[in-house]
Amino acid sequence: MSREDLTMTPNGNVGPAGGPGPASSAEGGRTPASGTGDVARELRQRIAGQFGRSLHIRTLDTGSCAVCEQEIRLLAAPHYDLHRLGFFFTPAPRHADLLLVTGPMIRAMDVAARKTYEAMPGPKVVVATGACALGGIYPEDPFVHGDAGKVLPVDVWIPGCPPSPLALLHGLLVAVGRLAEKTPGLTFLADGETR
Amino acid sequence: MPLWFARGLRRGIVTTRYPARPDGSSASLPTPPAFRLAALTRPVADRLCAACPNGALRRENDVLIFDVGACTACGRCADAAPEAVVPSGQFELASTDRSALIKRIPLAGAGR
Repeated sequence: MSREDLTMTPNGNVGPAGGPGPASSAEGGRTPASGTGDVARELRQRIAGQFGRSLHIRTLDTGSCAVCEQEIRLLAAPHYDLHRLGFFFTPAPRHADLLLVTGPMIRAMDVAARKTYEAMPGPKVVVATGACALGGIYPEDPFVHGDAGKVLPVDVWIPGCPPSPLALLHGLLVAVGRLAEKTPGLTFLADGETR
Repeated sequence: MPLWFARGLRRGIVTTRYPARPDGSSASLPTPPAFRLAALTRPVADRLCAACPNGALRRENDVLIFDVGACTACGRCADAAPEAVVPSGQFELASTDRSALIKRIPLAGAGR
C-alpha cells in the first residue's frame, strides 16, 4: 500500500459536508426533515444528544510546538476543570469520541493520523486546534500538509495561537452542540462601527 | 487543621463558571484585532498586511481580507497602525465552517 493510498479525503462524517449551520441545541429541530440539510441537522442533533455529558477526547499532536498541548493540559486544572462538563481525556483512540488535532499535519504522521481516526468508533468528531492546524502558519510543502483538513474530515475549527483554555472549552461545547458558534456574526470592527 | 485545608476554605471555589457565566480572566486574553473603519485607508491597510507575519491580512482592491484562523493575536498590526486597530476581545471563535473565519472588511473611501 503506497503512502498516497493512505491519505484520507474528507467524507461523510458527523457534520454535514456542505454548509453546516450553527450547531445550536436551541434550534428545535422538531420540523419534519424535507431535504438533506434538515436530515443532516437532525442527525447532528441526535449525535450530539448521544454524546450528552460524557465525551472522551483523544489528542493527536501532528507536529505542533506543544503550546496547544500546554493549553489542553490546563483544561484539566482546577480553574477550568473540564470534567464538570462531562469531558474526559483518554489515551486510547478506541475509547475516544472526539479527536483533538494540533499541529500542521506533518506528512510523517499520515499513517498514524489515519490509523488513529479509523480506530475511533463512530460517531466521531474531529476538532482542529490552533492556527497551525487551521492552515495559517505553514504552507503546504514536501514536509507538511499545512492544514488538518487536508487529511482528516474536520468538524470544528478552533483558531488561536494557542487557543486559550476558554476558547477550547467553547470549541468542545460547539462540537457537541451545547453552545452556538459566534463566528458568523462577528465583523471584527471596533465598537460602535458598522459597515 | 492541615494548612492546605484552611487555605482552601479561605479561597473558596476557584473553578470558573464558564459557560454559565463569563470568566473573569477572559478580559486579559490576547485576542485578534478589530478594525476602525474611519482610519482604515489603503496605505494603512498595506502597512497592516506588511506587518502581519502569517499573511492573515491581505488586501484585495478596497477590501481587507482577514483570516481569523491564521491570526496568532501577536499584536504587530496594532503596533503598525494603532489608530486603526484595537483588540477585539473575542475569544469564542470556534467554527464548524472554515470559510466563516475569513472576514472581509471594507476600507475607508470604498463605495459603501
